[in-house]
Amino acid sequence: MKILTLRAAALLLLVGSLAGCDLFTVDDESSPNGPALEDILADPSIENLSAVALGVEAASRVDLDLYLIDVGVIGREYWRTSNAEPRFTGDLLGRGTSVLDDNTFYITRPWNARYRVVRNANILLQLVESNAALENAVDRLAAEEASYARGYAKTWKAYQYLLNLNLTFENGLRFIGVREEVAGPVESYDASLAQIAALLDEGLGDLEGSASFFGTTVDITYMNRAVAARVAAYRGDFSQVLTLLADAFDVDGIGAADLGSGVAHLFSTGGGDLTNPVFFPPTNAVGDAILAHPSYANEIEEGDTRIDKVEQRLGDDGEPTVSSFDELASQFSFFRYKSVTDGVPVTRNAELVLLRAEARAQTGDLAGAIADLNTIRNAAGLADYSGASEQSAVVDEMLRQRRYELYGEGHRWVDTRRYDRLSTLPIDRQERTDRDGNVIEADDVWDRFPIPATENVGS
Amino acid sequence: MIHRYGWGTVTALLVALLAPATFAPAALAQDTPLTVSGQVTDAETGETLPGANVRIVGTQIGTTTDVNGRYELQLTPAASLLEVTFVGYRTREVSIPEASGTITLDIRLQEDVLGIDEVVVSGLASSVKRSNLANSVETISARELAEISTPQTLDGAISGKITGGVITSNTGAPGGGIAVKLRGITTINGESQPLFIVDGVILNNDAISNGVNAVTAAAAGGNASSQDQPANRIADLNPEDVESIEILKGPSAAAIYGARASNGVVIIQTKRGNAGGGVQFSVRQSLGFTTIVNKVGTRRFTEETAVAQYGPSAPRDDATPAEIAEFQAGQQAIRDLFNRTGGSFIDYEDEFYGNAGLLSTTSLSASGGNDRTQFFVSGLIKDDEGIIENTGYEKQSARVNITHRFSSKFSADVTANYVRSTALRGLTGNDNSGTTFGVSLTATPSFIDILPNEDGTYPDHPFNTSNPFQVRDLASIEETTNRVIASGRVTYNVFQQNTQGLQAILEGGADFFNLDQDARFPEELQFYEGAGLPGQSIQGRTNNLNANIRGALVHTLSLPEPNVFFTTQAGFTAFTQDQDIVTSVGAGLVPDQFNVDLAASLQTNQQRLVQDDRAFFVQEEVNYADRVVATLGFRAERSSLNGDVDEIYFYPKASLAANLAEFPFWNVDLLDQVKLRAAFGQTGNTAAFGSKFTIFNPIAVGGGLGIIIGGQRGFPDVEPERATEIEGGFDVSGFDGRANLEFTVYRKVIDDLLLTREVEPSSGFTLETLNGGQLTNTGFEIGLSLIPVNTRAVRWVTRTNFWTNEAEVTELTVPSFRALGGGFGNTLGSIQIEEGQSPTQIIGIDDIDGDGTSDGVFVLGDAAPDFQMSFLNDITLYKNLRLTIFAHWKKGGDNLNLSELLTDLGGTSPDFDESAGERLSQLGVSARQFVQDASYLKIREIGLYYTIPDEAVGRYLPQVRGLSVGVSANNAFVFTPYKSYDPEVNNFGTQPVATGVEVTPFPSSRSFLFHISFGL
Repeated sequence: MKILTLRAAALLLLVGSLAGCDLFTVDDESSPNGPALEDILADPSIENLSAVALGVEAASRVDLDLYLIDVGVIGREYWRTSNAEPRFTGDLLGRGTSVLDDNTFYITRPWNARYRVVRNANILLQLVESNAALENAVDRLAAEEASYARGYAKTWKAYQYLLNLNLTFENGLRFIGVREEVAGPVESYDASLAQIAALLDEGLGDLEGSASFFGTTVDITYMNRAVAARVAAYRGDFSQVLTLLADAFDVDGIGAADLGSGVAHLFSTGGGDLTNPVFFPPTNAVGDAILAHPSYANEIEEGDTRIDKVEQRLGDDGEPTVSSFDELASQFSFFRYKSVTDGVPVTRNAELVLLRAEARAQTGDLAGAIADLNTIRNAAGLADYSGASEQSAVVDEMLRQRRYELYGEGHRWVDTRRYDRLSTLPIDRQERTDRDGNVIEADDVWDRFPIPATENVGS
Repeated sequence: MIHRYGWGTVTALLVALLAPATFAPAALAQDTPLTVSGQVTDAETGETLPGANVRIVGTQIGTTTDVNGRYELQLTPAASLLEVTFVGYRTREVSIPEASGTITLDIRLQEDVLGIDEVVVSGLASSVKRSNLANSVETISARELAEISTPQTLDGAISGKITGGVITSNTGAPGGGIAVKLRGITTINGESQPLFIVDGVILNNDAISNGVNAVTAAAAGGNASSQDQPANRIADLNPEDVESIEILKGPSAAAIYGARASNGVVIIQTKRGNAGGGVQFSVRQSLGFTTIVNKVGTRRFTEETAVAQYGPSAPRDDATPAEIAEFQAGQQAIRDLFNRTGGSFIDYEDEFYGNAGLLSTTSLSASGGNDRTQFFVSGLIKDDEGIIENTGYEKQSARVNITHRFSSKFSADVTANYVRSTALRGLTGNDNSGTTFGVSLTATPSFIDILPNEDGTYPDHPFNTSNPFQVRDLASIEETTNRVIASGRVTYNVFQQNTQGLQAILEGGADFFNLDQDARFPEELQFYEGAGLPGQSIQGRTNNLNANIRGALVHTLSLPEPNVFFTTQAGFTAFTQDQDIVTSVGAGLVPDQFNVDLAASLQTNQQRLVQDDRAFFVQEEVNYADRVVATLGFRAERSSLNGDVDEIYFYPKASLAANLAEFPFWNVDLLDQVKLRAAFGQTGNTAAFGSKFTIFNPIAVGGGLGIIIGGQRGFPDVEPERATEIEGGFDVSGFDGRANLEFTVYRKVIDDLLLTREVEPSSGFTLETLNGGQLTNTGFEIGLSLIPVNTRAVRWVTRTNFWTNEAEVTELTVPSFRALGGGFGNTLGSIQIEEGQSPTQIIGIDDIDGDGTSDGVFVLGDAAPDFQMSFLNDITLYKNLRLTIFAHWKKGGDNLNLSELLTDLGGTSPDFDESAGERLSQLGVSARQFVQDASYLKIREIGLYYTIPDEAVGRYLPQVRGLSVGVSANNAFVFTPYKSYDPEVNNFGTQPVATGVEVTPFPSSRSFLFHISFGL
């Protein structure tokens, strides 16, 4: 048995030595399919900062189509018709007993995508901080560049929060700290708007006197102030709207030709880039299309050039035709975006003019409001406003111009909601009886989406 | 750096290891040398057997017979028994007569029809007689694999042939696509397929998507898993090159393969040359055709039903005259369509799936050699068409295997195999764009005419975005693989003495392939009309290299008194995989051009995978006179896929077998083997590549490139899953080698499951990976082999296997969730992972109280079968006429049949007018209708061959030997209650858990073949 003991001992030693030798070492390699978070955090180089910063702007377009479909369909601007996805004309329009679900793509995907951008912006803020601690001066951002990165990150975060809040409205929103893994509790609609406003102001502070260092085309200060003015309007603080606009913009200088200028999500067919996701060829069959809500064309003023945001649908014979889908019928396609590379506005001069018109009307400067509205009207080929001049009439006209001017840009639902006019939106399918005699309820106009179930916060 | 011993230390220790043995029991006193010699022959035919092993029992002294079957051995004084072993024959022990000088001892061996004495793998560098094995190891011989019929791919050839396995073909498309699950479910999110090893090379068996999702948009809907219906790469191997397949079904047998062996190991040995005499050529030609196994049928329309189905819905009571006119015009349009074909109907199932595809396989091999060098060379040309026009599978394969013995100490073995395969698999399965063949046909009623026009144009499909005939003829989806698999092995006998020997083995190999996936969708296809970017070209290129090397030392020691035989082995293995997949999708093409350079929009995606594993292993086997055989061993492994690449994971094993019949007390002469066995082992399953990283994805805007954090949070501490298995059983054989019964029961527990869970999306992530949870599988397997008749005129060999497995999720640390590829949600039924339940349970909404509304989510079925049986019968008449029938019965196990839903929605189900209304009214109320019994009995293979006696042929063709003609059929008969083409199906390809989700697949086919083969 001595032999066996010796053999066992030798074996163990052999194995032990094998375990120690280089042959048995595996290299800890980094990911070949994209930079790993830990590698980026460990290397706050200017190149990495630039890439993360540009990623914020680029990813803000992900699932933007679902956001625009959500708010546009519920705001009765258009219908998204799809054979493959009946919930666009079901849940969103409240067909029959359908309701908005808290675990369905129309809320989860845009919600998740916006928070992903927030995370990227927070990573950018972390990188700016660790970049400042680098030993070598050439590796560090100049102070005004670091400040720009901070202002840029905060502005985008605020805008992403605002889009999610637009969806969940009084269900509220969660905010996450720069270095947090878990977001804070749900905050109310008003508190959330206040936080977003504060974040924008903080961002503006960073942006003052700052300098860009990467290839963004976004005028971030413009975006910051315009969104701040929008948030002030949402909060009903109209004197604040006027102050913000006066401080940051020359609204009087905006002419008819400038209304489209501002900040937009850009699209291209370039490699790695995205194409405009809400461009649908107006000739698409109803199985996969966006139909303009018939009220857009029915209620438009004679001579309004903005009729070109919808396109007459034609039959096989080339004659105008009515397309039906899921008991909805329209003879127009949504045609706000003309090609796969058309930009989708974040905010633009027309909104500034309309915000000032709104704030003026709300603060009693009705003549000023009408002047602003005429800027919009004239640009659309319409004569000056000639309606009643009392405040409520001017407010009606303001909302009407917002509806037509900002069509397909995600505003009407929010506007009708904050003016408590959701009940004025058209109900397309009234209570009816199907062939089997079952009563089908009329459509609903929702005022908010539930917070996604995956947030585990209850709704 | 305490751990950095040099090789010097290792060598020194090696010497230490061997040293004690060299001092081993003083060599037995040598008297006058005695010699024994003789000839080894087949007991029945008297043929000589070259290459048989002859060994003196209790020593290491042995030799092999020469080309004439002759051997000669120097005897030791104590020698009293000779053991003779040869592949395919029963082992024999013969006592050496008491004599002096030269003893002549001729030995006759009996054929081992039931494989009782075959040799199987027991360690990384050793093998053991099956009769001494403590595990249940499955063996599939060349005959069972490829000689009953001509399987298209290797994976198809093993279907139903593994006791304890659930092998499911995912699609009927040419070129394979199969999921192999051995002994139940072993993982939920990890790799689920066994490790395939061919001649020592760890083979790549990836299923690589061809990117047609860019057209089908299948993953854009309710389930984002790949639905591109890929083939597994194991399909590339030529089944006719295979000598044998051994299957280590669970951790107790596979522990020594370590961290990638949780799903079992399939060890494939290819053919080698024969030592005996000249070169033997063998030629085999198969010709045949293939047809659809089972047709579903289609609805017969009348004018009324056509208008009701496809016309506009009735206008409201308050409709305007214009609306009423529009309604009437719409109705008339359908009436016109209906009457255009003159009331005649087109059987689209027959038009589309009715191609009688020609099948042709030509194979040639040459084998030969002498006692030093043996070679085997083979070539194969296969050209199979599918049951859909323009689909098919082609393969060309060439192989050279050479074995050479340089000296009595040193030998080498090299293999090289080149394969080129081309698969045209069509466009089938799920979609969200109406483009796949199956989905298109569900919307194609028999009264419309969408057949190609005589002028080569295609009518627009009136009810669907795509005309499937146009896609079939104008689009092309081609996958070409060029693959080289090569291996080498050198064996060096360091020393060999009477009682001990030391052998060093170094083997390694590489498996390289390039996969070229080329899908072209020209802009004239119907579904591009009005599209922003018409025409798509999807170009995928994959390069994959698997390389592995293994070094081992094997020491054997015989102690004559007591008769104990030790086999000790220790060694080192390294494995590397480097995979690079680049897929470019070009959209908006210049007419008739498919170069992605010419596309208006180009999206490119690259996926790289790099894996490095290192392991060492030690195993000790103790054999006491073939009465008790015990094995102990472990493997220690590191992998670059683990969170901590320096962490060593240990996988132990232990086993014990007791051959009661070898003990002196045994006196039941009828049973010559009664073995009790028990085994324990652990294996791992490493996390998917990249699980430990949180990755940024590239995204461009305004001409610049940014990066955005990925939605999945990495798990930096990720560990392998660990499977622990205990198996026990008995083997009984007797009646003169004419009966053999194997019984095995096992319990397999998998811990530290790799799970993915949803996280609160406000964190910026949606998913994360973690280790947690536990799965338990228990089951048993019975195999009974008999030779009921064994006369000169008739020999009947029959084998019946029975197996069953029960799986349970015993612990789940995350909320219940839908399995990967497990369906499309509760409305349509889904396979749901839930603690305390079978991992393959199917849940869905159901209307329990019958009030017409859903009452919530309930368990509706289970995808796992209750049990399976296989029956192999082999009858030989007068040695020349041979009939083999292989049948496979799967009892129970449910599928989710969503094809029927699509035909109901499309108005084309064959029983639409009788039952579809009822089914459609249940949509959204109950998912029970989709859960369908997928039991089947398949006569998978039948072969009937007649070998013309050489004497009869010799008169005309003196060169020709063994001329054989035959006919065979694959899937000749399929009996199933399942309401579609084939219960063997999965829309999501090979998935860890989910199986049997059907969405308009490529229908399964049967084939009939004529064979001729002969030797020269």
